[in-house]
Amino acid sequence: MIALVNLLDLLEPALCLAVLVLLARSGQFRSYVFVGGFLATRCLSCALLLALVHPIWLHHLGLLWSIQKVYMFYFVVYWSSYAIEAALELGIIYNIYRLAMAPLEGLRELGMIVFRWAAAISLALAVAAGFGPHLTSSSFVVHAVSQLQQTQSVLTLSMLLFVCFTIKPLGLSYRSRMFGICLGLGVMAATDLVISGWMTVVGTKIVPLSFVSGLAACVGLATWSLYFAVPEPKRRLILLPTTSPFFRWNQISEVLNDDPGYVAIGEVTLDMFAPAEVEIMRRASAKM
Amino acid sequence: MKTFVRVLVLSLVATGAFASSHYRDGVPTVHSKVSAMPVPICPPSDPNGCGLCQFNGCPPDGK
Repeated sequence: MIALVNLLDLLEPALCLAVLVLLARSGQFRSYVFVGGFLATRCLSCALLLALVHPIWLHHLGLLWSIQKVYMFYFVVYWSSYAIEAALELGIIYNIYRLAMAPLEGLRELGMIVFRWAAAISLALAVAAGFGPHLTSSSFVVHAVSQLQQTQSVLTLSMLLFVCFTIKPLGLSYRSRMFGICLGLGVMAATDLVISGWMTVVGTKIVPLSFVSGLAACVGLATWSLYFAVPEPKRRLILLPTTSPFFRWNQISEVLNDDPGYVAIGEVTLDMFAPAEVEIMRRASAKM
Repeated sequence: MKTFVRVLVLSLVATGAFASSHYRDGVPTVHSKVSAMPVPICPPSDPNGCGLCQFNGCPPDGK
């Protein structure tokens, strides 16, 4: 099984690179900028981590550096890239929500306010989770990034559920890239939640754990590559019945976003108005 | 197709919800990258390199 794990180690950056090329070729890099950022970070971190721990490299590197020094670099690269990836995954979910809800602008604006608050609270919780007993800088980083990832995984699965069951009113289909990205990310999020529970029982140094984790990453990335390789169907015209709750709530949200009117309170004298305004009021009162 | 996708999505969400409901109370959960790479849990100053050699082999001169 170790050979399989080593194979997955090599397959993952290759898949990241393949999705990145397909994304660039699809001409939608600007729409999915967070996906691009995530893939670039992942590809770079995988290459660096692989360079540090792959048996062949470790053998050559070990002749220059002590294993302690190699591990220290591995620790820094792993957790810093993990933190960046978790933040970028939050960005991906935010971006997917923004794109999916584009036709329902009122609801989109309302949802984005809620999303920003949820993201801010999850960041605050992540920082708070780092301050545990026996606090060290390394334990702070590990626990803060873990908390951020846990929140991000829950948010990803919620978004996947939302996109899956509102796909028709949003004018999308199961072949849309927005759904494909959510699905790939959902596979990784579900695996992350399972693996972290598994790790508390068996520890981190077991080969099946690495195998399942690596396989899920490759499945998620393969899903993305499939969706970016196949042409995306055009978004359908959205026809909602006038009784649809989506339509009603969108109207309400749009009104909520409107600029309010203003009422003058207290003593108002004529010199506070412009001459044109005074003239309009004079003519209006003459008609009464 | 529609049913298959919906069942897949629901099973993913149920798996995630079931797994996170089984986290031990009071035990801080450590999440790791969804990747085959080893997870560095030990402090960076660990003299044994957190067992990196266990899977990947160390150089013969034992540095």
